[in-house]
Amino acid sequence: MTKSTTILRQLLAGSEPIRAPGVVDCIGARIVAKEGFEAIYMTGAGTTASRLGWPDVGLLTMTEMADNAQRIAEASGLPVVADADTGYGGPLNVQRTVRAYERAGVAALHIEDQCWPKRCGHLDGKTLIPVDVMVSHIRAACDARHDQDFVVIARTDAIAVEGFEAALERAKRYEEAGADVLFVEAPRDMTQLATIPKHLKKPSLFNMAASGKTPFLSVEEIKALGFKLILYPNFMMLAAIPAMHKVLQELKRTGSVKGLVNEVASFQDFFNLLGMDDVKALEEKYLTNEESRVRY
Amino acid sequence: MSKAKILRNQLAASDMLIAPGAYDAIGAKLIEQAGFPLVYMTGAGTSASLGYPDYGLLTMSEMVEKAGILARSVQVPVICDADTGYGNELNMIRTVREFESRGVAGIHIEDQVMPKRCGHLDNKEIEPLEKYVSKLRAAVDARQDPDFLIIARTDSRASLGFEEAIRRGNAALEAGADLIFIEAPQTMEEVQAIPRLINGPCLLNVVQGGKTPEINLKDAQSMGFKVSILPGILLRAAVNIFDQVLDSVKKEHTVPAFLNNATPHQNFRRFGADQWDELRRCYASESQSAVKENQ
Repeated sequence: MTKSTTILRQLLAGSEPIRAPGVVDCIGARIVAKEGFEAIYMTGAGTTASRLGWPDVGLLTMTEMADNAQRIAEASGLPVVADADTGYGGPLNVQRTVRAYERAGVAALHIEDQCWPKRCGHLDGKTLIPVDVMVSHIRAACDARHDQDFVVIARTDAIAVEGFEAALERAKRYEEAGADVLFVEAPRDMTQLATIPKHLKKPSLFNMAASGKTPFLSVEEIKALGFKLILYPNFMMLAAIPAMHKVLQELKRTGSVKGLVNEVASFQDFFNLLGMDDVKALEEKYLTNEESRVRY
Repeated sequence: MSKAKILRNQLAASDMLIAPGAYDAIGAKLIEQAGFPLVYMTGAGTSASLGYPDYGLLTMSEMVEKAGILARSVQVPVICDADTGYGNELNMIRTVREFESRGVAGIHIEDQVMPKRCGHLDNKEIEPLEKYVSKLRAAVDARQDPDFLIIARTDSRASLGFEEAIRRGNAALEAGADLIFIEAPQTMEEVQAIPRLINGPCLLNVVQGGKTPEINLKDAQSMGFKVSILPGILLRAAVNIFDQVLDSVKKEHTVPAFLNNATPHQNFRRFGADQWDELRRCYASESQSAVKENQ
């Protein structure tokens, strides 16, 4: 079986952009796989929301992120691109992060040049580490991987702090330091978006965030600009929020869930999504006759 | 009574509390069985037990998980190394809540820039005092149990000098810290001066081969320290004995005789076999009648 890192490398070498919808848990992971997407993204903002109920201001630890990434990799079976924030410290911490993510079965991670504790890339109030420090983090990350196909994505948050020119310059430096994919966070307009992939030799990442700071473009438009990897970090989670409110409001209003039955996934669909057929096949293979008789 | 309350009561009594350092439940249980009133969870030992040097590589979640194991393993209070609080004021709030929810009685928080280094290593970077004070205020406000002990550690002696370390200790008290930990004083005069110059209770860190001269614990008590931690003693002892035993097996091809003095069940009794046997008897059912007594 081809490793997920190799699959991601092959996808990056192809002509079509890779679409990686963002998820926070295994339900999302199963849905992305079922819908036939070629890759999946673990969002840090979403993981923080899911595990702590807090906003994305650098509160989760590396071990919590790696644990979540491992579950998503396992449940989706897809190449996982995972948010690794700043790498969680100095170059030694970055190396520990890369190894932990590699062991988790992740195919790519992105590390960024913010000071710790970081903030969501589309929030105000970000601060940056010096460019040479970030360059050493990238070098440390690339050296740490055991699997040479593991993809190191360098992200710069510099547009909001130092301006677009400085961000491009940083991306260039990170590319020279060995990063495989470049992620210039939160571009503001079409001119900036058109400039990024042209300025770099290696593949560029497009982050289709929900904040509105980056224009909402179609896959075709993003492809035409020259981006190779597209993240949709939070749309699935954001879609679930009004749906969950609706269930609870309906319950409060009518005192029953009856009116919702046709709007939610059926019990059958839910178990199908989670691979009940696979479980049944395993039971047929391994249960003793007596166990099967008692159970069914 | 909460473990934090027990610790407060112990601190209010006159004797200095001696807290040997543990990094797992074995160490914590042996410390309790030896009659010590307090267990200290060492960050350096915890790092080592996960296979790393004390270079700030562990995450808060790893420390908290270990702390929970120690706290549930003993009846006496456990205080823990919480490094820098793992970030800014918000991270500090999460850190306090996580440790507190694991049943820990208190944590120490230091003014190093993250990732931190062992207090007795060189080239430590120190946070501005104002930043440190605001993080301590956040820690004090974050605790749910007002008895949970916030221990303020300053690493400033090495790069900013003894006077600054004392200034920081007193500033930490004003910010609401309960116990002051001046890390790595360099002479006996400095050690002696700490309880005199700090306007509140003080903790002494007894590190072998570090920057602080060797000190007798009776002297530490008469100087006025309220708590002494001995973070490394069990790890150092374990490393020595492990080396000896492994060396012996390798060379002699036999297990050293002194290891054969107890039956397996006698060893289990150090880790609660009597209580678990009692539970087995209590819940034994007809179909699984004979409770197997281990010998």
